[in-house]
Amino acid sequence: MSGTPARYGMVIDLDRCTGCGACMVACAAENNVAPTPQATPRTGVTPMLVRKVSNGMHGATRRETFIPIMCMHCEHETPCVKVCPQQAVEVDKATGIVMQMPQRCLGCRYCMTACPYHARYFNWRDPVWPAGMEKSLNPGVATRMRGVVEKCNLCHARLHSANEKAAAAGRREIDMADYVPACGEACPTNAIHFGNLADQNDPVTREAHSANAFRMLARIGTEPKVYYKSKDPWVRALAESASGPGKFSERPAERLAASASEVHHG
Amino acid sequence: MKVTRRDLLVWGAGAAAGIAFTPVPWKILDDVSIWSQNWSWIPQPARGPVEVKQSFCTLCPNGCGLRVRTGAGWPVGIAGMSTHPITRGALCPLAFAAHQLNWHPQRLRAVRHQSSTSSWAAAQAAFSKACSEGKVVVIDGYAGRAASQIFEAFAEKRGSYRVAASPETRALAPYESWSGVPANALGYDLENAQTVVSFGAPMLDGWGAPGRFTRLWAERAAGMADPQLRLIQIDASLTRTATKAWQWISIRPGTEDALVAGAARFLLEEHLVPANGPMPPLTLVDAASQTGLTTDAIRNLARTIVAKPPVVAIAGGNNPAVAALNVALGALGQTGGIVLRSKQKKVYESADAVIPKARAVVIDSTVPWDFVPRTDAEIFRFAAWDGGSNKAEWLLPAPGFLEELTDVPTAPTSAVETYAVAPAVAKPTAEVHSAAQFLASFDAELNSTDKIIHARCEEIFRARAGSLYGRETTPVAQVASAQKLEEQLRSGAVWVGEPLKTASLKSNLLKCNLKEWPADTRPERSEDWAAEWPAPVLPPLALKLYQESSLREPPERKTV
Amino acid sequence: MASAALTDSRWIARGEERTSLPRFLLWLTPWAALLAVGVYAAFLCLYYGLNQTNMDNRFAFGLWIFLDLGIIALGAGAFFTGFLVYILKRAELRPILNTAVVVGFICYSGAVAILMIDVGQPLRAWFTFWHPNTHSMLTEVTFCISCYLLVLSLEYIPLLLRNRQLRKLPSFLVFEHQLHKLVPVLAAIGTLLSFFHQGSLGGLYGVLRGRPFAYREGIFIWPSTFFLFILSAIATGPSFLMLVTATVEKVTGRTLVPREIYRRMGFISGVLLGIYVAAKSIDTLVWLNHTSPSVGFAPWQYYIHKPFGTPVLFGEIVLFGLLPAFLLTYKKTAAHRAWLLSAAALACAGVLLNRFVLTVQTLALPTLSFDQFLEYTPSWQEVASFGAVIAYGVIVYSLSYRYLPLFAQPKGDDSNVSGH
Repeated sequence: MSGTPARYGMVIDLDRCTGCGACMVACAAENNVAPTPQATPRTGVTPMLVRKVSNGMHGATRRETFIPIMCMHCEHETPCVKVCPQQAVEVDKATGIVMQMPQRCLGCRYCMTACPYHARYFNWRDPVWPAGMEKSLNPGVATRMRGVVEKCNLCHARLHSANEKAAAAGRREIDMADYVPACGEACPTNAIHFGNLADQNDPVTREAHSANAFRMLARIGTEPKVYYKSKDPWVRALAESASGPGKFSERPAERLAASASEVHHG
Repeated sequence: MKVTRRDLLVWGAGAAAGIAFTPVPWKILDDVSIWSQNWSWIPQPARGPVEVKQSFCTLCPNGCGLRVRTGAGWPVGIAGMSTHPITRGALCPLAFAAHQLNWHPQRLRAVRHQSSTSSWAAAQAAFSKACSEGKVVVIDGYAGRAASQIFEAFAEKRGSYRVAASPETRALAPYESWSGVPANALGYDLENAQTVVSFGAPMLDGWGAPGRFTRLWAERAAGMADPQLRLIQIDASLTRTATKAWQWISIRPGTEDALVAGAARFLLEEHLVPANGPMPPLTLVDAASQTGLTTDAIRNLARTIVAKPPVVAIAGGNNPAVAALNVALGALGQTGGIVLRSKQKKVYESADAVIPKARAVVIDSTVPWDFVPRTDAEIFRFAAWDGGSNKAEWLLPAPGFLEELTDVPTAPTSAVETYAVAPAVAKPTAEVHSAAQFLASFDAELNSTDKIIHARCEEIFRARAGSLYGRETTPVAQVASAQKLEEQLRSGAVWVGEPLKTASLKSNLLKCNLKEWPADTRPERSEDWAAEWPAPVLPPLALKLYQESSLREPPERKTV
Repeated sequence: MASAALTDSRWIARGEERTSLPRFLLWLTPWAALLAVGVYAAFLCLYYGLNQTNMDNRFAFGLWIFLDLGIIALGAGAFFTGFLVYILKRAELRPILNTAVVVGFICYSGAVAILMIDVGQPLRAWFTFWHPNTHSMLTEVTFCISCYLLVLSLEYIPLLLRNRQLRKLPSFLVFEHQLHKLVPVLAAIGTLLSFFHQGSLGGLYGVLRGRPFAYREGIFIWPSTFFLFILSAIATGPSFLMLVTATVEKVTGRTLVPREIYRRMGFISGVLLGIYVAAKSIDTLVWLNHTSPSVGFAPWQYYIHKPFGTPVLFGEIVLFGLLPAFLLTYKKTAAHRAWLLSAAALACAGVLLNRFVLTVQTLALPTLSFDQFLEYTPSWQEVASFGAVIAYGVIVYSLSYRYLPLFAQPKGDDSNVSGH
């Protein structure tokens, strides 16, 4: 690894996201998430979750957008890191990735209450695969057990492979082409741009500071490393909870109901 | 010395206190935690060599390129093939979890005869009997493969061969009936279109390969106030495509034909289109009242459609009105419109039509599960996964995902011919036979898939046209031998043909025989003879999109 | 006493009267049944996993955490009474000291038991001690509650050892005597530990940057909820003890403590409650006008979801805060037992409401602008486990009352050599 620490992050172009869900499936497959036929939007493990959000209107003025939500890898006063009683999660100094260690997790779920983005998922049951399907597990990623929390870790196994490849070639820096998280690789419209935000030459860094870029709940001050961008002002306004002093519009955009068979309209 | 109760108590207390100072309790505590981190009933990934193989997805006829990671010999991860010139590394959500399909709980592993387990021998005996007693119809869901050639050859002697086409190909059916050019020889030249008006076709949500139009739209339209590619989506409700389109026109459900007629009428009356064509009988006022739009709105839409040519209209299925609009727009045979991509002359019968007087029907595993043929014949249904339908007498386990060598003919929407060979990457875990293998066992004259692929590779080599896209791009003319070409194809390269200049071919496509505006001639799909059939078998992780998020509605269970 | 075939009179202190053993067992039976159901529910959670509860990724904390925070707040009477008696030398409160220890022990051991089921991997619970995170309030809570449970056990053991039969063992008597000398030290340690963990339980929510409904400004590393929780705990601890003692007096039909105790405990509770209400009001105003809006969350958006409107806030501060504070301190009402006990009940309800608002309402409220207000109903397994803790408490207390000198008076009684 080179001297300068990296700060891996993303810019997600919401104008390009068509809500297909390829990133969700690719993420689950890469991270050995077990299929859970009985899971609901509130009990499933979806380290990458695409949310369908509307502008609250109906009829011809209705607009919807799709927002992929995953761990934001908060850089400052990382809420989950601060609250974990046994340091089962830490911000990796070399990469900026917020690393969760399910093997140390005791399952108290305090980190889940702390995360404002609801990007952490608990294993409410032991993962079970249909007979034989365990042969399809990704060798780079350990499976978890019940009672522990997991979340996106920016496909750390792929970073590990990229490091090995660089080391084998005698290089100290990885080639960014070798390290693309599963979601970014899967996106058919190339809406997910992954890069090193600490590198001024990385195009993702420039994009993150462009006029249409924003971060969710930026005012809370956790300095997330996942940015979003959109040309539509109503989409950019979704970043903050109350879009202006004294103006709050309930956005009945979607319901995360407890039952599996919910009807989805904004 | 008498040991008293008190002594025991004291020693007991002392021992308990003393043990705390030994490593014993701490080691036990530590071991117990380690045990909780290594439960034996939680599967771990297998250890073994990791390799990357190239192949192609066979879940639908678009044949997107895949890079398959294997671990200890089994597929453990799927990614797109970025060197594929058409699919360009993009895949739909199903592909990423497709490698797990082969272990789906509904995987068919044994022959079933009317809901009870049977055997291949029994199936063969029954089929043999059926062949001797009458006609056999073979239904193919993925035309153009080597297996398709086997079906055709078999059916030629014993009955008929029919194709269950994809919706994208069905939308080309009207041109087939008007010009005689087979729908399979036509493609959509989207790369050169500047306006695409879609009448209910899910352009950004499952139309064709995602790498084709969705990627094109992302590069030329997404996030742009004045996009290079204008997507106008006509949909009754706010679909995924509608919400992302440049313009969304909301009409009453089922009134697309009225809108098409109204817009076409205006365009023809005002001479805003280059070609002439039959005048739709519907007036603008009628169109407005049927669709719920104002006449001004329809006029504006019509002007917008032709504002930035080339323009092509795309229907969600077989819609003659939309096809007639394309005739009026002059999109047939022109750059950016409906183009000829191969010189194929043969027109195939659709599987939608009623099958007269057949003794047996063979349905290939590539036919969608919810397709039920209109027949009372004995059905031999090949499938890798059991969708639960009880309509077929025989359910025959076919090879699953990437379990057999097959080839990948031109995708339904492509503007040029393509060819690829998809090697097997996984091993079947039960006795499986494809429909082609099954039929070949009855007729020694039929060629094997392998031989047909070999012959096709030779054909491509001899034609000296097009290019091979693999690690490098090589024009076929520069490939040294047919064997080299075949080698490249069998290791994941894609052959792409030259675009045909439709105009210079003097094709019948250019003079579509359209005397009057089409009435609605779509065949009715009556469902009175269908039993209940459940939702399609999906890769298990793809269910997350339906159940663990608000992203999608679950696929419909159809009942009568 | 009638010499029935079934008797345990030799275990009961000389001179004390207790109900017959069969009647006592009858009294215990329904509680034992409740305990059994709860233990079964807990077993289901341990065996099958936490999917047996209705908690989910959005309601990661549910009934159990509310229960934990609630009973620890109510159990604060233990350390606070010890503090009053040994550190502040308020000897007139001695009669209630033993019962305070038992109530405290029950509350804390019950809370720890529930915590062991509430975590996903109880076998790794000790990792907090081995890899502590000094920034985490929960680490602090874990350490302090474990130590304090040890302290409470050490305070309970002398009481146990004063049982008529156990006292006969000289070594136990000696041990008990030695421990007795330690009690003031234990009280001081207990006070210190309780100060910190009561505070940290408040800190658990006050530090949540990601939940502006709960997030508060603070002093140094401690958010205001740290201090508010301590205040509310010491304010309601005495009230809870009053309620427990009054209930025991009702059930046994005896007068167990001087009447004056109620008035004094009530007065202490009332004054502290008054201070708490003042502090909470200031804190609420700061939060509403500064803390929450500064991170982009307009405060009234928290109260638009029925039934969690502003009446809840009003209830916490006025109905269950200011009102009982007044009733407990005002001479006219404090003189009547009925008013005192009603006020005590209101105070306890207030602290429970406060814990509920911070544990459950915090999670129900949306953070992302496109989130919804969520609902959660505990499963029977959760409720049954809750019931088991109550049953456990009643059983332990009943056994302690029957066999131990809980309410013995320091009047030169032979059965009470150590004099407390």
